[in-house]
Amino acid sequence: MMRYTSFTSYDFILLAQGLGVSLALFAVTTLIGLLIGTTWAIVRFYRVPVLTPLITFFAELLKNSPVLVQLFLVFFGLPALAKINVTPVEAAVITLSGNTAAFIYVIAVSAIESIGRDQIESARVFGLTRWQVLRHVVAPQAMAFAVGPLTGLLVNQLQVTSLISVIGVVDLTKIGNILNLRTLKPFIVWTIVGGLYYVTAKLIALGGARLEKRLRAHTAWKGL
Amino acid sequence: MKFDLTILAPHVPFLLKGALLTAEACALALVGSLIIGLLVAALRTSSSPILSRAAFIYVDLFRNIPFIVQLFFFFYGLPEIGIYIDAFTTGVIALSIAGGAFSSDVIRSGILAIDTGILEAAEVSGLSKPVIFRKIVMPIALRTSVRPLGSVFINLVLTSSILSTITLNELTGSAKIVASDTFRPFEVYAVLLIVYASLTYLISLAIGSLHRRLNRDRMPDVA
Repeated sequence: MMRYTSFTSYDFILLAQGLGVSLALFAVTTLIGLLIGTTWAIVRFYRVPVLTPLITFFAELLKNSPVLVQLFLVFFGLPALAKINVTPVEAAVITLSGNTAAFIYVIAVSAIESIGRDQIESARVFGLTRWQVLRHVVAPQAMAFAVGPLTGLLVNQLQVTSLISVIGVVDLTKIGNILNLRTLKPFIVWTIVGGLYYVTAKLIALGGARLEKRLRAHTAWKGL
Repeated sequence: MKFDLTILAPHVPFLLKGALLTAEACALALVGSLIIGLLVAALRTSSSPILSRAAFIYVDLFRNIPFIVQLFFFFYGLPEIGIYIDAFTTGVIALSIAGGAFSSDVIRSGILAIDTGILEAAEVSGLSKPVIFRKIVMPIALRTSVRPLGSVFINLVLTSSILSTITLNELTGSAKIVASDTFRPFEVYAVLLIVYASLTYLISLAIGSLHRRLNRDRMPDVA
């Protein structure tokens, strides 16, 4: 077989595809993680017995173990234990969503706790239900508080997606691997791949900063 | 298939060997990232705009690029320019460089938190800049940032699992071998998850008590 060792214009499409897969999985797992993580935080807000300590323990376990091991457990372990088929993409979605959820849970909990008890108590005295308090008093303020740490988390989680290349998902890093093996030009390949991740991370950080400014607009100093 | 941990018993010594390699890599990378972190923090807080800019670019780059990409850059790239080192050394270097970026941020905020009065007093006492940095700035900054440096170290331990992708059989790499030998991946990785989590928990406990010990004379809100 002939080896195409030099770069071709088709490689741009490959890189774009890889970036697309990384971004799609990042977006999907962020949304699922947000949903699960905030649900966990709400369970804690209602002080549901049994469930709350269980969630805290599970979140700590996910936060304090390597994502790569979590990925292996889902991709290799689950099929062996439960006799079910797990594709690389499914394993990636399950693992990354769970991992993101654990970190979002922690941010959401501290965001809810950042709101003074007196506010919640006075809202309750006004006759608002616990849900109304959460919806109209806690949520808007907690969101403004959480955007900063959330942006930092998302920049980090984008980088974590690179690990799914190890179980065979053809994301940006996997494309890097393929190009690296074919062209044998590691410096160029990994600089381009790293550059793409860097630019994406910067865009996420920029978006987060803009959103934070908007959410905090009502408390911003408007001048005298 | 039911969950059976006893099949792992004969593989414990092999896994311990892997754990030892993880410990060695992390210990060396800890030293490396502290040295780099101190140096870069010194550059970032220096009065020269060029040096502080260069240090900022280093931190910004290595914090925003996935570790696995950095690792492959060194692992496949270094032989290209004639540097042949083994996977272990490459891993320690990559971990130190990435860890250095994170620790420098922590140390930098430790430096910026130092009361300027202390520095002015040192300057009027006629101490030279390097002496002020080594004897006054560094000890104070390191002491107050033990706890945040600890979380950087914990992250380093978790990140070290990625070294298994460059043929290094540290803890995760050894577990991969055991998983394929025993056909019991669930048991192996479930145990591995617990081991890493307990390990990092113990480290965080140790760091907490070290931080309190070193800062026992300071205000309660710092210690």
